[in-house]
Amino acid sequence: MRLTVLGGYLGSGKSTWLRHQLYARTFGRVHVIVNEAAEVPVDDVLLGAAQNLTVLAGGCVCCDAREALISALRDLCDRRTRAGADPVDHIVLETSGLADPAPIVTAFLKDPILVHHIVLSEIVVAVDGMHALEQLRDAPLGRQQIEAADRLILTKSDIAPAGSLAQLIATLRRLNPGASIGAAHKGTQVPLPEVPLGTKVAVLPDSHSQEPVTPTRLQIDPAIDWTAFCVWLSALLHARGHDIVRVKGVVQTPSGRLLVQSVRRIVQSPEILPANTAGDAANDNVVVFIGRGFCHDDLQRSLEYFAGHTP
Amino acid sequence: MCANCGFPAAAGHWTEAGSVTATDRMRARYRRAQVLNTVLPAFGLAAHDDGQVPGIALSSSTGDSARATDLEQFWILAEKMTGHAIDPLDPRLLALTVAR
Repeated sequence: MRLTVLGGYLGSGKSTWLRHQLYARTFGRVHVIVNEAAEVPVDDVLLGAAQNLTVLAGGCVCCDAREALISALRDLCDRRTRAGADPVDHIVLETSGLADPAPIVTAFLKDPILVHHIVLSEIVVAVDGMHALEQLRDAPLGRQQIEAADRLILTKSDIAPAGSLAQLIATLRRLNPGASIGAAHKGTQVPLPEVPLGTKVAVLPDSHSQEPVTPTRLQIDPAIDWTAFCVWLSALLHARGHDIVRVKGVVQTPSGRLLVQSVRRIVQSPEILPANTAGDAANDNVVVFIGRGFCHDDLQRSLEYFAGHTP
Repeated sequence: MCANCGFPAAAGHWTEAGSVTATDRMRARYRRAQVLNTVLPAFGLAAHDDGQVPGIALSSSTGDSARATDLEQFWILAEKMTGHAIDPLDPRLLALTVAR
């Protein structure tokens, strides 16, 4: 089963976006898990269209309700393997507005049962077109959510002032250049507003680090074997997992093409991809590091040193 | 639980993907120890894998020793022994890449 983690700050429009995706059947045969930090859940009412729905209320699944999430996911895996069960291909986890997506992904990747059943598809984060700039200034959590995303969905873009929207998009591109950015109006995809040249990025207060995350694309020399790459990457993530937000890439190994992806220090069990077509080959042995505090040349030299190659 | 080492059975670590046959896995274990020993001497550490007992043995020049189930645990133990994380981007290590 594939897992999409849907995050976003309080009131950013996560449920509205998800409701439309369920209506449009974007995820196919899907089971939705909704987490609400509050004791009394509301989002399940909004998501009434979902046939398969689990509500985890009264705690945030990135911290105090993590056990409940693991239990719910295990239950889903168990039900899926039973004879006659409704087949589910996709799980969408809508997090509470107070959740950091990274520890959630970490939790399920660390679980010895779930890791064999669930593959992380992507982290989607809804961004409130009206209030996100203010939230980013006030709450470090909003920034963590954006940095962890693979895809950012700008909501409420129809009612936000054009100037602040352009500044928000420029800021999002700076905070997480590796994520794709789209816009949606009540869940329906709409064109992303134009960002005029010279639009200034919002000045945000320092979080634990002053630098924004940047993507670094590293081409892995085919002469560097998978084992050397693993030793190097595991050491790198152990030492710098707080600064390396995401690692994604396809590496060729003796057993085929492996999709490698991590969130902070946790690496998902590599997925074997089908043999490549000509179009895919250009992206093989390319790994993208999204984070701060490192540069391309240092990564390259360090990897070559681990592999015993002379730079 | 393994009767030899006492480690509980666990899902394969991500670093152990990429090997299809038992021979591949054995070759990868020896190669892993070889790669580790390229880097660790600079920190006064050494890795050993005899291919039989599960895990990787780690020892320090001060006589400390431990055994890790996988690379993730290995780096944690190495940090405990040296007092700091073994950082592949450590300027001292990068300086060695030029010297080599």
